[in-house]
Amino acid sequence: MFFHIVLERNMQLHPRHFGRNLRDNLVSKLMKDVEGTCSGKHGFVVAITGIENVGKGLIRDGTGFVTFPVKYQCVVFRPFKGEILEAVVTMVNKMGFFAEAGPVQIFVSNHLIPDDMEFQSGDMPNYTTSDGSIKIQKDSEVRLKIIGTRVDATEIFCIGTIKDDFLGVINDPTA
Amino acid sequence: MSIEPFNRLVKLAARAFYDDYTTKGDNQQKIGRSDNRGMAVVILDALTRRQWVREEDLAKDLKIHTKQLRRTLRFFEEEKLVTRDHRKETAKGAKLYTAAVAATTEVHHGKEGDDKVKLHTHSYCCLDYAQIYDVVRYRLQRMRKKLRDESEGKNTIQEYVCPNCGRRYNALDALRLVSMEDEFFHCENCNGELVAESDKLSVPEGGDADDNARRRRREKIKDMLQKMDTQLKPLIEQLNLVKDIPIPEFGNLLAWEARASAAGRAGNGSNSNDPSKSSQGYGGVPLLYLGETKVEVAFSGVDGKEEDAKSVSAGVGLKVLPPWMIKQGMNLTEEQRGEVKQESKMDGSSSSGFSDDKKTVSEDDEKKSLQDEYARAYYAAILEQQAALEAANKQQEVLETSDLNGPYESSPQRQVGMKFKREDNEGDDDVDWEEAPLGGNETSESYRVHDLNEEAKATPEDEDDDIDWEEG
Repeated sequence: MFFHIVLERNMQLHPRHFGRNLRDNLVSKLMKDVEGTCSGKHGFVVAITGIENVGKGLIRDGTGFVTFPVKYQCVVFRPFKGEILEAVVTMVNKMGFFAEAGPVQIFVSNHLIPDDMEFQSGDMPNYTTSDGSIKIQKDSEVRLKIIGTRVDATEIFCIGTIKDDFLGVINDPTA
Repeated sequence: MSIEPFNRLVKLAARAFYDDYTTKGDNQQKIGRSDNRGMAVVILDALTRRQWVREEDLAKDLKIHTKQLRRTLRFFEEEKLVTRDHRKETAKGAKLYTAAVAATTEVHHGKEGDDKVKLHTHSYCCLDYAQIYDVVRYRLQRMRKKLRDESEGKNTIQEYVCPNCGRRYNALDALRLVSMEDEFFHCENCNGELVAESDKLSVPEGGDADDNARRRRREKIKDMLQKMDTQLKPLIEQLNLVKDIPIPEFGNLLAWEARASAAGRAGNGSNSNDPSKSSQGYGGVPLLYLGETKVEVAFSGVDGKEEDAKSVSAGVGLKVLPPWMIKQGMNLTEEQRGEVKQESKMDGSSSSGFSDDKKTVSEDDEKKSLQDEYARAYYAAILEQQAALEAANKQQEVLETSDLNGPYESSPQRQVGMKFKREDNEGDDDVDWEEAPLGGNETSESYRVHDLNEEAKATPEDEDDDIDWEEG
């Protein structure tokens, strides 16, 4: 799920950036540092939408770096258990398939794939129903439900299922 | 002490869950004679009739091998049904435990009078009722949850097992396990192919796409749930009964032993000899529960010894505090300041202890005596430093000390602290005071008042020192 929240971070700035463009430099450094990263607590930071507040800079002893506490608004993405997402299949395996929903990777094990779909190896490994009507292969879009998340300090990984009602392939690229 | 409902709970739980526990490995034959399934039930039942028990004793009572018993008890410890305590003690110390069970058994272990103190590790175990209650409820909860999950079409996380090393993985680890070469998951250790753990309770009827198969599975699970409920009904009822009753608590092994031995002694005084003798090997028993048996506590551990010590010292009086222990403003009794009236020779009594040589200082006030003590200590320290320098002055000292000795024996102003160095001290003091006059020099002033008047003529420098001391 996406959230728009305010986060705070202490940015260290080298003196060479001081001057007229101090604030711009600070903001661009913040964006470079933070966008695309993931924290276990908030999720993936997708984009910074604005700077709320830049505090007074504190000069560090010994080095000339200055630390600014910056409060910024950003869009974050955090998956939750029980959430239903659309994802794009990236890899198909005998044990299941991997899909990506934006920055987060989701694994659906074959155990949670409907029993009527069987794995077919080959050039393009896929899961197919017995009558061939539904196929899951690379780049297919599927709707899945998240049944578990694993949150490390800087990484989030999910397990999903398509065994429930209204889940499964949305769009077949080959069709 | 253990309440009957809890014992019944333990017995029901043992028969419900552990009746097929065996200490034999999977490969060993389980023939009729040597099959020991159900051993767990026997052991748990035996534990309901005892409180803290030594494992060797239990094995003997049940007539099973110690090793088997230990294996089972270790299993129970992991299941959180039993607490164990491993203690190193001598054979003597172990007897104290036996005394604690003296009410029920009369076994006296071991021999007295070991010369070598061998510390053997004795293991004790006891049922942990509080944990048993929680564990049984948790077990039931997990069973029901599993069945319900199975019946609801499984939003559960897949598990994988490595057949080589037996390591288990979760589907959440899938990222780490996926391999590039082929399409299976590989173990991190041994790179073996992982096998998915299939439905444990309802066997999937391979690839059957029928709704029928699913329905059949669901019915099987429902059946299982129902059977579970009916078979475990007495256990669940017992749990409800026990819910409101306070849980019997035996506490730590040490605490229990103290209590039990105290109770035993209160009950029958004749047994007090042996256990109290063996208390030496025992160490600090926290005798917090001995409220009732104060009278008989002759030497039952720490408290008794403290009382004895106190009575001994009461006869002698409080110890004289050595000068280095005294700080300004301490409320010292006269005894502690070493001012109790007693006469003795100072020469021969170098190491006879503080309590013997005490002389009164009637005129001195507290401050002076404190400073005296301080001076004593200071001079002793300086003495060490200046011992080398005094070689030339020794003859002088001899003269002085011979002068000083006489008056000292009669003078009532002896200080206790530095007796054995007094002779040198006196001599050195004269010299020292010239070089480093101190506030504490009043010491010399006080007891030299009589003497130095005589000496003042002999050593004129002392007069200066006198002046200094007064100022000090």
